[in-house]
Amino acid sequence: MRTSRREFVKFATASGIALSLSRLASAEEPTFKARETLPGRQRWNPAATGAGRIDGVPKVTGAKLYASDFRAADLPGWPASTSHAMLIRAADATHVYTGIDLSRLGGALKPSVVVTAAEIAQAGIRVPAFYAGDLFCPVGKTPLYLGQPVALLIFEKFDVFDEARLALRDGTFVKFGGETGPVVMPDYGAFRFTRVAGPTPDAPDIYSAVQEGWISPGRIQNTELPVWNPLAMKPGSPYAKGAAYGEAIRAELAEKNPALLVLDREFETQSIDPMFLEPEAGLAWFNSRREILELVVGVQSPYEAAESVAFLLGKARAPFKPARINAQFAYVGGGFGGRDHTPFPLYVALAAMFFPGRPVRLAHDRYQQFQAGIKRHPFKMHTRIGVDRTTGKIQAFAADHVLDGGGLANYSVNVATVAANAAIGIYDVPKVDVTTVALHSRGVTAGSMRGYGTLQTMTALEVLVDEVCSALPLDPIEFRRRNALKPGGRTMAGNPYIVSVRTGEILDKLEKHPIWHQRAAEKARGLRSGIVVGTGVACAAKDYGTGADCSLAAVEMDQTGNITIRCDAVEMGNGVGTAVANRVATYLGGVADEVTVAEVDTFGPLALVTSGDPYAMDQATQDAAQRNPRWVPAISTATTASIGAHVGTHAAAEAARVIFRFGLWPAALDLWGIAATDSSARQSDAARWKDGQLNMSGLPPLSLSAIAARAHARTLVTGAMTHGFSRWAWSQASFTVSGQSIWTAPIDALAVRKGDGGYLRINRTSVKFPPTDNNRIGTSYTSQCGTLVRIEIERATGALRIAKAYSVLECGEPLVPQVVVGQSQGGFAMGVGYALLETLPPYEGGPGNGQWNLGEYIIARGSDLPLHDLEIEVLPPLPNEPPKGMAEVVMVPVVAALLNAIFDATGRRFQSLPVTQSMLKGALT
Amino acid sequence: MKSETRIKCLVAVAALLMSMLSAFAIDQMQSDKLAAPESFSSIGDTTARSAAIFTELGKVLTHARCVNCHPAGDRPRQGDQRRLHQPPVTRGADGHGLETLRCPICHQKANFEPGRMPGHPEWHLAPREMAWEGKTVAEICVQIKDRERNGGRSPEDLVHHIGEDTLVGWAWEPGFGRQPAPGTQKQARALVEAWVKTGAACPN
Amino acid sequence: MTTLNITINGRAYGPVDVRDALTLNDFLREYLGLTGTKFGCGAAQCLSCGVIVDSPDGTSYVSPTCVVSAASFDGKAIRTVEGHAKNGELSTLQKAFIEHFSFQCGYCTAGFLNESQVLLERLEKKRVARGDLEKTITEALDGHLCRCTGYIKYHEAVRDVILAEPGRYLLAKAD
Repeated sequence: MRTSRREFVKFATASGIALSLSRLASAEEPTFKARETLPGRQRWNPAATGAGRIDGVPKVTGAKLYASDFRAADLPGWPASTSHAMLIRAADATHVYTGIDLSRLGGALKPSVVVTAAEIAQAGIRVPAFYAGDLFCPVGKTPLYLGQPVALLIFEKFDVFDEARLALRDGTFVKFGGETGPVVMPDYGAFRFTRVAGPTPDAPDIYSAVQEGWISPGRIQNTELPVWNPLAMKPGSPYAKGAAYGEAIRAELAEKNPALLVLDREFETQSIDPMFLEPEAGLAWFNSRREILELVVGVQSPYEAAESVAFLLGKARAPFKPARINAQFAYVGGGFGGRDHTPFPLYVALAAMFFPGRPVRLAHDRYQQFQAGIKRHPFKMHTRIGVDRTTGKIQAFAADHVLDGGGLANYSVNVATVAANAAIGIYDVPKVDVTTVALHSRGVTAGSMRGYGTLQTMTALEVLVDEVCSALPLDPIEFRRRNALKPGGRTMAGNPYIVSVRTGEILDKLEKHPIWHQRAAEKARGLRSGIVVGTGVACAAKDYGTGADCSLAAVEMDQTGNITIRCDAVEMGNGVGTAVANRVATYLGGVADEVTVAEVDTFGPLALVTSGDPYAMDQATQDAAQRNPRWVPAISTATTASIGAHVGTHAAAEAARVIFRFGLWPAALDLWGIAATDSSARQSDAARWKDGQLNMSGLPPLSLSAIAARAHARTLVTGAMTHGFSRWAWSQASFTVSGQSIWTAPIDALAVRKGDGGYLRINRTSVKFPPTDNNRIGTSYTSQCGTLVRIEIERATGALRIAKAYSVLECGEPLVPQVVVGQSQGGFAMGVGYALLETLPPYEGGPGNGQWNLGEYIIARGSDLPLHDLEIEVLPPLPNEPPKGMAEVVMVPVVAALLNAIFDATGRRFQSLPVTQSMLKGALT
Repeated sequence: MKSETRIKCLVAVAALLMSMLSAFAIDQMQSDKLAAPESFSSIGDTTARSAAIFTELGKVLTHARCVNCHPAGDRPRQGDQRRLHQPPVTRGADGHGLETLRCPICHQKANFEPGRMPGHPEWHLAPREMAWEGKTVAEICVQIKDRERNGGRSPEDLVHHIGEDTLVGWAWEPGFGRQPAPGTQKQARALVEAWVKTGAACPN
Repeated sequence: MTTLNITINGRAYGPVDVRDALTLNDFLREYLGLTGTKFGCGAAQCLSCGVIVDSPDGTSYVSPTCVVSAASFDGKAIRTVEGHAKNGELSTLQKAFIEHFSFQCGYCTAGFLNESQVLLERLEKKRVARGDLEKTITEALDGHLCRCTGYIKYHEAVRDVILAEPGRYLLAKAD
């Protein structure tokens, strides 16, 4: 059987480490579970009346919530004092590392423990495949990247740690020898995406990724970049076939065809830091007596973090291998992707294992967070677009993307492929050819960050489209209308979206908005008053989902109608706890007052097992595996890719539906005196909750508490636990519930509790997992956002002010409308920073040198934003439309809209980011 | 030209280039040093000597440690890269900051090394009329002599101000992560003194 | 070393000997376990670490805690986020932040609360014209960084608290 990342959960158990991923517990009163279960029974629940978030009160009162808040003294059963560790990192990646000289730490300042590559190797510690690369640079090697750790120092007491870090601050104790130049590594991955549409929209595609699979050029010689030329490949190979179509598209674009407007442009984007306000931090304790590793971290991927630590230590020699890992997950002070699959928890675990019996804290300061935190990929994009001059329709599009993935692979390949598939944005293009490659470099590691590559490619696209519109000329909204992909139309990979495509409505809104139709008058006003004014528009479609997303949840109702929810989604500001409570409320009539997020191990009753890689599995393997009624393609996945609403709340919603159908509804029928055989007994879908009462036409309303009491009295279903898996569509399964009823739902595992009993698993009688061929899909889910901005630039200084802005989006059913608006405002701010303010130089001048902080890295402040002039409009959902993801799409069009407004104002079209004040001043003088 | 002569010319040119390059290199290496007034004694003309001494002093006056708080606008700059001060603060009514963020809140009586925070009891922005940012050494010279713009100081006052004022002196002890001004405060004092003695002439 | 006596949220702490190099931020978080005051950048750039300092003359201001020594606060009185609610009753600002959905991850919230509280107290002593309100709020809060929210809902919460009691914070039109 192929070994894969998913299988090591079983291996961990086989090698003797049991995984238990539980909630954080706190010191005195309250217990951890009470601290992070919000808002808590008997406490004010702002969400109950839509007046706030479930985590509102703890966040305004400074309650302990984040991993960085906790010390050993806060955790029951832990020793009282906390020791402190620091990671020493190499600020050089072109010379041989020769060791650290700690002689300046004399006597009392000496660390208790020093862990280096030598100790790691001796202990038999392994780096998980996702993080391949030395955990610590060994002496005698050139560091793989700037900021690569070389040692972990552990200090027993905080005061010693504090003095030592001051003494070590200048970094000169990290020694280097001969110059070797940077370490050269193969690229992380390269792909080519080609599509040639058939003669009519209904005709099958002549070539597409969905039909033919994804193709890679492979490596045939030692070149830095792949060789894309199909003639260099084996004839008849899948790559050669697709590439031949691709080259033909490029040849067409290269012909001097007067009927076609062809633009050939290069666009470059910069390295970016997520700059979440809470630097990464964690706490761990190896209870050597019981051989349990206790771990406290805040991550977007809790299950993965625990699995990775289990693998790290899975084959370690005694005493470095725990019998059991108890991982606890805290609320997170911002994520934006940078806390998804981060290597940080590995080092937290190592700190504990090398200082047994003593709790150890590892925390980045901001210099270290800039040095080591996951970054957004810089992109270099070369694009050609061919547009029919008469019809204004895009005929062909070709692009070459090169990503700087930095020192470790992390998510680089995924970012490259997602970005490539978004390269044509909202448009329907019959001939597309995109190559992409993610390179290794000695720079900081790039990985997941809000937008995930689509921000880069769609910015380049919308700037290019703006130029096309000027060149044709054609009104920018009209151009978009003519070229927008229609519902049912095929994406670049060759599949249609399976959710609504509302580009037309978005464009209508943009066109009608005063910012748009005042643009000429405003521009003229600028000419009179010594500023220049410009208006810009852009429109984006962002996928949500990763192609292998899981949702796990348990929902319970007690006798009085109080609702409890546990789910595996992570709260990083996205409001997922409130969203899940609201979604469950639509089925159960009340807002939960005990919501625990980031739970992964209280779903034991489902007894889930997994194997293989859901992204790479073939159909035969999946068909064989699914015969085990407990098997699922994956158990729990990261909170990322705008999936909080669509995925994070899914399992809880499904659990709530089960409780309603098999618990509350029969109880209501009982209270109404309606027999189960009566025809109206089958009309559960017609019942409606309003203000805590269940309404059915012609019947008296029933209170939730009465129904709950009756459900318990009759030992009906009062709790449900479900698992769901989505590979661009949810898995569906059938279960026999309550003896007779066949319940078919978009879940693949179910356990129920009746009355006050325990959970009992119900084996699925049949299951349909999404076909493995769906892995060829680029994405099937999309949401759209359009942005208009009006800017004013002061001629003399280049200072830019955003005078007015408007973003219109659609996201299906908004589960917490205030959070959707808030995320849209935050996405706007992040877009402004990306377009105008933020940049990290590559390599030695960049944050890998350990000297970067917020004085150098400028993110948007309130005064940079149109605080009173930003209008956000959320289109109402279509009838019965489920929630979609929106947290990323709201950032994307902001950037190109700003660049297009800058062109309108200055006549200069910038082809790189950021566009700074001095560049604008230069453009105007 | 005869080839021998040409070769000699070439050699001469090369030698000149080399010496210029070496001088440049040495100059770079010694940019953190201040020349003593005596090293200008070879300049015969007193006015020219005076101006040359001021030009040397200009290395201090145009250094980031000084210019950051002698900005052209109302906002200080920060760091060796002279970027705008973050968080954003302006001089306020009295040069000591905004109502919501007064300079001494962060910049206390002395440098606080653990926070990399520079400090001095008098930390504040130089008044607008003493802005040096963007000015040439020649312009700063004229300005620094002008009693309307230099706080009413006589040339002797300038010797004391630059040579002994402890806020000025901070520039040579700025704390971690900041390049000190060139030389020492004593050396700067010597230059000012010598400049005043030679008539306080300004370079062109 | 310095012997530190400090009042926090009305309660006296000390005397305790502290190293002169110990930051106030570490004193609060490592020594006292008062982690409501956050650590964001360690360079006074983000103000997530800000606490209210109450001066003897009756004025207050927000100070970062990451770049100042605990020792320098000997004899001073400060308020942290943990001290805003009284007897379990949330302050007007705390309720406003909740009801306006002002924060998302919440990590910067303590700093914004402290700064907004100081602003309210300042306005009580010296009211501003309604027309200057938005600018006043922006200037007061601009030192605080937030990465999640884009600031708008923070500003709206503070504005609405002020507009709910105009007589207390705003100049009457005739003033």
